[in-house]
Amino acid sequence: MRYALLVQGGPYSSQASHSALRFARAVIERGHCLATVFFYHDGVYNAARLSAPPQDEPHLGDGWRLLHDEHGTELLVCIAAGLRRGLLDQREAARHGKEGYSLEEPFELTGLGQLVEAGFSHDRLITFSP
Amino acid sequence: MILHLLNRSPVTSRVIDDALAAMGPDDRMLLIEDGVSGGLPAQALFFKNLAGRLFALREDLVSRGLLERCGEHVTIIDVEGFVDLTEEANKTVSWY
Amino acid sequence: MSGQETHDLEARDPDSVVDNSVTAGDLLVILRHAPHGSSWLREGLDTALVAAAFGQRVTLLFAGEGVLALLTGQTAGPLGQKGTHGVIDMLAMYDIDTLMVDGRALKSRGLCTDDLMLPVTLVEADGVVSLLQSHRLVLNF
Repeated sequence: MRYALLVQGGPYSSQASHSALRFARAVIERGHCLATVFFYHDGVYNAARLSAPPQDEPHLGDGWRLLHDEHGTELLVCIAAGLRRGLLDQREAARHGKEGYSLEEPFELTGLGQLVEAGFSHDRLITFSP
Repeated sequence: MILHLLNRSPVTSRVIDDALAAMGPDDRMLLIEDGVSGGLPAQALFFKNLAGRLFALREDLVSRGLLERCGEHVTIIDVEGFVDLTEEANKTVSWY
Repeated sequence: MSGQETHDLEARDPDSVVDNSVTAGDLLVILRHAPHGSSWLREGLDTALVAAAFGQRVTLLFAGEGVLALLTGQTAGPLGQKGTHGVIDMLAMYDIDTLMVDGRALKSRGLCTDDLMLPVTLVEADGVVSLLQSHRLVLNF
């Protein structure tokens, strides 16, 4: 089956991101395709490029990146939710006249339409909220 | 069959009322995160209509020291069981 | 208004009906949060608007504190916080005209359909169960 996850909790402030990443690995281990993870609400902070948790804690951002690198999972970040919260890729940073940027590949800023699309084009959509 | 995920304690959040009201006769509920405190025997009455349809995620019980304190009103499953439930349900709805 | 009247939901507003038939659609968006206090309501509405713009048949269910989103007399908040009443006013333009309200949620807050800015369909008990079953996708905000 093709799975999509919707992650709405901020990393390190609620358990939602941990639960989602844990579930993501279990889905893949079962032989399913985890095609898409969509980050919305405070879940967009999972994509923060400069996240630097203590070394004895799981690095959630790296966890997501690994899913992309090893399994080709799309990591989609709602652009409207992201821009409001300061998550800009290089292109958006330039467009808004900002120095530096806070989000980079493999995370992608996309429209909310991609969430709706994921909901209808995958066999399962599982939501993890704070 | 719809799988309902609940991540709130039945004691502190009234979202459980909305979740229960939305459940059909074959639907299942899985308690995760803070929701697993619903596994305590004293909380069983909240789920009295869910005999055989209430599950709790083992790792969230373990990390909270609740595994051995869980009542018989819940079926304890691991994360693989969580995946099973989502396979078997045609939709999953999260309540938070 | 007496307590008796607020409980008599069906009779209060000719524009509103209690629907026992099943409303089917592609996406059911459940709105459970009040306006202003968090972004959940706005984000849920945005999702509904986008889905409708993509041609999906969208049903909105206002439940729990979400029923407050429909109250008349809402304004922008301090510092110009926009609120959601403007979006709700525009739903018809996006062809979202299936607005369902959990009658229990309205009743338990001492509100009735006269308090609401748009005509709605009241859903009682098993109606919510049917709504979840009759939509391909359910998103809870």
